[in-house]
Formats: sequence, structure tokens, C-alpha cells
Amino acid sequence: MNAVLTLEGLCKSFGGIVVADHITLELERGHILGLIGPNGAGKTSLFNLISGVVPPDAGDIRLNGVSILARPLYQRARMGIARTWQQMRLFHTMTVLENMVVAPREYVAESMLNLVFKPRALRHADEIACEQAMRILERMHLAQCADSLVMDIPFGQQKLVGLARALMNDGPCLLLDEPMAGVEGQAYDTIKAVVRQEAAAGRAVCVVEHNISFIKDLCTSAVFMSFGAILERGSVADLLASKSLTELYFGA
Amino acid sequence: MDYFYSILILIGIYVVLASSFNLIIGNAGLVSIAHPIFFALGAYTAGLAAIYFGLHAIVATLAGGVVAALFSLMMSLPSLRVSGDYLMITSIGFQLGLLQVIKNVEFTGSQGGLSNIPTPVTGPYRGLVYSVVSLAVAATVVWIIRWIVRGPYGRAITAMRDDELAFLALGRDAMRIKIVIFAVGCGLAGIAGGLYAFYYQYVSPEQFEILASAAMLTMVVVGGMGSTLGPVVGAVLLIALPQAITFLELPPAIMAPLQGMLFTLLVIVFVFIRPQGLISPEGPTPLPGHRQVNRGGPR
Amino acid sequence: MFDPVVLAQILWTGLATSSYLVLFTIAFALVLKVVKLWNFAQAGLMAIAFYAMFAAVNQFQWPTILAVAFGLLLTLAASLAFEIYGLRTLRARRTSSLMFFIFTLVCSEFAAYSLTFIFGTEPAPLFAQILSPVHILAGIAVSDWDLLAVAVTLVLAIGLALYFRLAREGQFMVAVADNAELAELYGINAKRAFEAAFAIASVFICAGMYLYGARTAVIPTTSLQLMLFAVIATLLGGMGNVFGAAFAAVALSLVQSYSVLVIPSRWQGLIVYVFLFITILFFPRGVNTSAWARRLRARRAPVG
Repeated sequence: MNAVLTLEGLCKSFGGIVVADHITLELERGHILGLIGPNGAGKTSLFNLISGVVPPDAGDIRLNGVSILARPLYQRARMGIARTWQQMRLFHTMTVLENMVVAPREYVAESMLNLVFKPRALRHADEIACEQAMRILERMHLAQCADSLVMDIPFGQQKLVGLARALMNDGPCLLLDEPMAGVEGQAYDTIKAVVRQEAAAGRAVCVVEHNISFIKDLCTSAVFMSFGAILERGSVADLLASKSLTELYFGA
Repeated sequence: MDYFYSILILIGIYVVLASSFNLIIGNAGLVSIAHPIFFALGAYTAGLAAIYFGLHAIVATLAGGVVAALFSLMMSLPSLRVSGDYLMITSIGFQLGLLQVIKNVEFTGSQGGLSNIPTPVTGPYRGLVYSVVSLAVAATVVWIIRWIVRGPYGRAITAMRDDELAFLALGRDAMRIKIVIFAVGCGLAGIAGGLYAFYYQYVSPEQFEILASAAMLTMVVVGGMGSTLGPVVGAVLLIALPQAITFLELPPAIMAPLQGMLFTLLVIVFVFIRPQGLISPEGPTPLPGHRQVNRGGPR
Repeated sequence: MFDPVVLAQILWTGLATSSYLVLFTIAFALVLKVVKLWNFAQAGLMAIAFYAMFAAVNQFQWPTILAVAFGLLLTLAASLAFEIYGLRTLRARRTSSLMFFIFTLVCSEFAAYSLTFIFGTEPAPLFAQILSPVHILAGIAVSDWDLLAVAVTLVLAIGLALYFRLAREGQFMVAVADNAELAELYGINAKRAFEAAFAIASVFICAGMYLYGARTAVIPTTSLQLMLFAVIATLLGGMGNVFGAAFAAVALSLVQSYSVLVIPSRWQGLIVYVFLFITILFFPRGVNTSAWARRLRARRAPVG
């Protein structure tokens, strides 16, 4: 079995609105799963359930076979669930590099005791994080704006920074929420290449995306969601061939 | 000369208070107005420890800091568990409620205040010694805070203040950072309380009412929220400024509200005209091998 | 000590005493619901309302009706100025919630210091005579003030409920409270709804301060403590539920009245803070009255 992340019968509703209706799903090592469906289908909500922003009403989430339901958001990230956000949510008063160096899975300076008693370990961790961050930034052609404030760089590059920051977490699972929305040109190709490399390195990747050609190029399989439920799953080609789905999606 | 010393000492104490308050609201973005009550806890603890247990002034002052930090947990643990909004409400309740307790129990001297706190220094140089100590403590505190906020810990605090949800999703334990920062800030206020108690040898509850909250808030907002030097400038200005009015020799019944009006009006003016305060925040130190970035003010 | 007449007396007096607390709570909860603002400036508005009426009665020797009208006028002016020149500017700048908090609280403090400067810190009731005639009904003392207080509170609360239900403006306000951006898309003017919320809050504040001041002496910082009670009741009632908050205010006030039987009077002042901590510790999201109501309705509904 290659399943990294297993969702079983996940349910969630807000008031009367169902955002997750018995979702059962597996993310596998080295695979890229596409999550498609109309707006409001519950794709982002599913990410919020997995990463622990909101608790599910029912069901289970397992990482490498162990239930992580009781773990809060930050612990799930430390266990290796990295994610990006549709609205990026960068730290806007900080530089690109500073955004990156607060993002590794373990952050020694998080404890004030370490600050006092382990200054050397701290400096060492800073250097390592800095090197790792610069490697990722170079891969994404962002090295030249490492010292710019994130609010001073163009939107497409901010989008890249959002992805780069999530890559600081080298865990087994990567959730990408609309990485392509509003991105074009070189940034587009960079994101595609990087996502492919991450999967090749053995990560389980899940992408929410409206850009069908991106899904077609990249994903090994896909899932179609509507009103919180999974309507169909299979290879991307099968899904796109399904007439009822294309009608639902494109509102023909 | 004694008058001059007393102003220096007051400046030292308020630099500690404003800087530690700024650490809480400016750097960590935690909304609280209860800072004076931790100042009071430090002052009362130090005074009582010296009177009843004969503790040395330095030990008693440190004890004041520890007690204030411990009490801060009583406030931060339950309210931060829910949301940041709750901290501001509990802070008002904590401030007014604890003052009520102090006014009603016997061993704090109730309404009349706690007097006869022994002084560790006597003689003609008392004022000078206290001024030096008070300013030295202030300088140390500012240096410690600068060291906290400009290093890797400060980067984490800034990120948390910018976007807490994103910060959590990176694996950072925001709750722990908030509680620690709040305890450190309140502990430093407690130490300021110890300084206060041993200089004036008298502590009374009305010194820690909402007027004190307004004064500290004004120092931070006017000086510059989130900058290390801002609250220092704010504290010096706002201690020195009202001294100018004292020369008018107005009766205290008019002086107190006049001061309050001045403080609050300044805050209102700054909120609208110059929300970043007199001094803009500096941001963390550059990472190894990288250059300093000009951040300007908050936009 | 637990004589039924005594208990009934405490119940009645407690209900009457809860009147002004309910009015303050509704004002606070309404602004929170519609404007989405913890309006700590309410304490300042309350102080302004009281001292306007106080000056009209005692300095200008105006008749009561005129004094109340004057108080209402000043409170309305102050709260609308606060919304239009203060909050609206900050909102346009997308100011952080920290700044909103500082601004609202400091406005209250500024009002308190200004009023202290003018009127001093000597406690003063609205009228020289604070005892009102008492009738004995079935062994229970009922004063004219009690009757007035209960009547005013009921009329205003029912009026507000009807306004939400029947008036177009009231329905608009509910829509804005639910989702201001969506409401604006449907052509509802959110700014007007915000102003209306402040105007209604002013009426409740003024009525509450009249009732309070007619029976108790006030100093410029009294309103801060009264507001804290309203804040706690709002928390308990579940944020965004104005009438839930009002019921929470009644319940808290009754608990406070009955506590006289077991807690010495010098500690009475602390009860509010104990409530606050109990609320934060055990009911951090308020007592969800609407969920209870839904469950009750579900139970009553025929099954199948």
C-alpha cells in the first residue's frame, strides 16, 4: 500500500450547508491527485478539514495509518501535511526570505528557553533554514527577490512564494489550493515543473485547480466534487470524457 | 535636585512599563489593557515580601516579577484558548476585578494603601542611587526586548501577527508563543512595580486604575507601536510633558482629569493622524549573508 | 431567611433592577451584531447621556421630559459623530482590530475625564429625591420606579423586536448584520444601517441611564462597570443574538440579587468579575439559546 493520507467517511456541514458528504479518499506516494468541481463544491473545505482548520462532524483522517483527528492544525503541519492557500496568506510585513525561514517543520526558536540556553543551536538552525530556503527560491527563479518585501513583488511571484513557503515543510503530503489562479507566463511553467518534481521525489500531492489543462498535464488521477460529495473518480481523461460532468462543471 | 531625580526614576519605571506593554500589544498583537494591574501585582508583592518576610529589595522585586508573570497565566490561558477577542474583555475585567479585591482585603492595606515599605538605600545619595538603578533596569529591559524581537523569535512573532492561520499551518504553536510573550511582558511590568514600591515606600490602589492604562497606551501609541525605541520616546515625552503643567500648581482635583484628557486626546489624534506613531518599527535583523531591508512604516 | 415573601420580593426587585442592565446590554449587543464592533465607547456615551440629563435637571432646572429629550439629543449626536467621523474613517483605512479597540476604549476614557473635569468626582443622582413612593402588593413592596423601569424596558424591547420584524429599515438592518457585503449587493445601504444601529443604541442607553440615575448616584466612571456587565451578558447570550443577551442580562441580574442571601455585601461588587471568569471558562461561546430553541422545536414536531 502506498497510501500516505487516508480520508474515511468525512462529513462536515455549516448550518444547513453540506461541505463534505462522506468523503472517502486516498492520497498516494508519488501521485498527483486533481480535485475539480464547480465553486462551492467543498474543495477548499476539504483541505481545511485535512489540515485541521476546522474539525469534521464525522469520519476519520489517517496519516500513514495513524489517525490525526485529535491533532491541532500546527501539529498536523509538523507531522508533514503542508498546504498553500488560495489567497496566499503571506506575512506581508516580512521579506520573501523571512517568510521562508519561519516555515520549516521544526523551528528551534519557537521556544524562548532555547533562545536563552541554546543560542548556538539557534544560529545553526537559522543558517540551515536559510540555505534550504535559498535552494527552493533558486529552483523557483525567485532568488533575486529574496530580500524584497512580499508586498512589493508582483502577484504571480507572490503566488510562487506561497508555494515555496509550503515546500519548506518537507513532509509526505502537499496540498495545493488553486496554485495557478491568476498566474501566467514563466511562473506557470515553474509551478508545473516544481509540482512534478515534488511528486517524483515521493510526495503525495493534491491539487485544487480550475485550469483543466494544468490538471490534464500533471495529474495521475482526479476526483470530481459537487455539493460536498465526490461524484466521480478516475483518470483525468475518463473524467473529462464524462458528458454529465462536463455539463455540470461548465454549466452548458 | 530631588525633584529632578524623582522624574528620572519615574522615566525609568515607565520606560520598562511602556516597552513591555509594547511587546504585548505592538509586537505580538495581543489586545490587553490590564498592564497596570501587573505593575500593581509587582509593587504589592515586593512591598509585602519586604514588610512581612524581610526579603531583600532585589529578591523582593524579582519575586514581584514572577508573581505578575504567574498571574498573567490566569488571564491568558483561559481567554486565549478561545480567541483574541476574549483577551481584551478579560483584561478589562481582570484589571477592575483585581483592584476591587486589593481594595477589600486587609493585608494589602485596603483603600488606604500599603505604607511603611522599608527602603534598601538611605542617606543623601538615595535619589541618585535610585535614579541610576531605575535607568539601568530600563536600559536592560529595552535591550532584552530588542534582543527578543529582532532575532528568530521576533520573526516568528511578526509572522504570527501578520497572519495567524498561515502561521499555524506552517507548524508553529502560536498559542505557546502568545502565552510566553504575555507572561514575559507582564513579568517585566511586575519588576517595574518592585522599583516603584521601594522608591515611594507606599503603594495605593488608585495608582493602578484606568488612568494608568490610558497613560501606558498613550506612550506606546504615540511613541510607535511595534518599534523598540518608540515606547522609550513615548514614556520620556509623556512623563516630561505633564511636569510642565505641574508648575501651574493646579489643585489635584483638576490636574488628574486634565492629565487624563491630555493622554486620551493624544491617542485619538495619533490614531487618525499618525497611526504608526513617532518612530516606525525596524523589523528583524537581516539573515546571515543578507542585506537590511527598508520597511518604511506600516502601510 | 428563605421565607417565600422575601424570595418573591427579591425576585421583583431583581427584575426591576435588571431593567437598565437589559437596556445597556441590548445597546451593546445590537452594535456588535450590526456594526461588528465591540463598542467600548458605549461607556462614554452612557456617561454623556447621564450628565446631559443631570445638567438639564440640576443646572438649568428644566422639567424632566425636556431633560430626557436633551440627554437623548446629545447622546444621539455623540454616537453618530463617533460613527461617521471616527469609525467610518478607520473602516475606510482598513484599520486593524487592535486600533478599533484602542480607539473605542480611549473615546470612553476621554469622555470620562472630560466629564470629571466639568462635574468632579462627587457621586450625584439625577434628582435630589431618589426614593420613590412604594405600594405593598401581597406583601411585596413595589415602588413607582420599579413599575416605570419594567414598563420602559418592555416597551423598548418589544419595539425593537417589532422594528426587526415589520419595518423595512429593521429588516435591512438584519440583512446587513448577516452579511454586510451581500446586503450592499442587494442595494441595501450598510452605512445607513450602521447609523440606525447607533441611533437605536442611543435611545436604549439614554433610557437606561435615566432609570439608573433616578435611583443611584453616579460618578463619571460608573458607566465603565455598567458596560462591563453588558459585555458579559452579550458574551453569555451568544454574540449576534440581541435578545439572547437581554435574557442573559436578566438571569445574571437575578443571580446577583439572590446572592445577597449568601454573600456579604462588601464582596457584591466582585460578582460581575466572577461571572466574567465563569463565562470565559465554561461558556466561551455563550449559552447557545437559539440551538436550544431549535432542539425544543424539533422535539415537539411529530416524528416521521
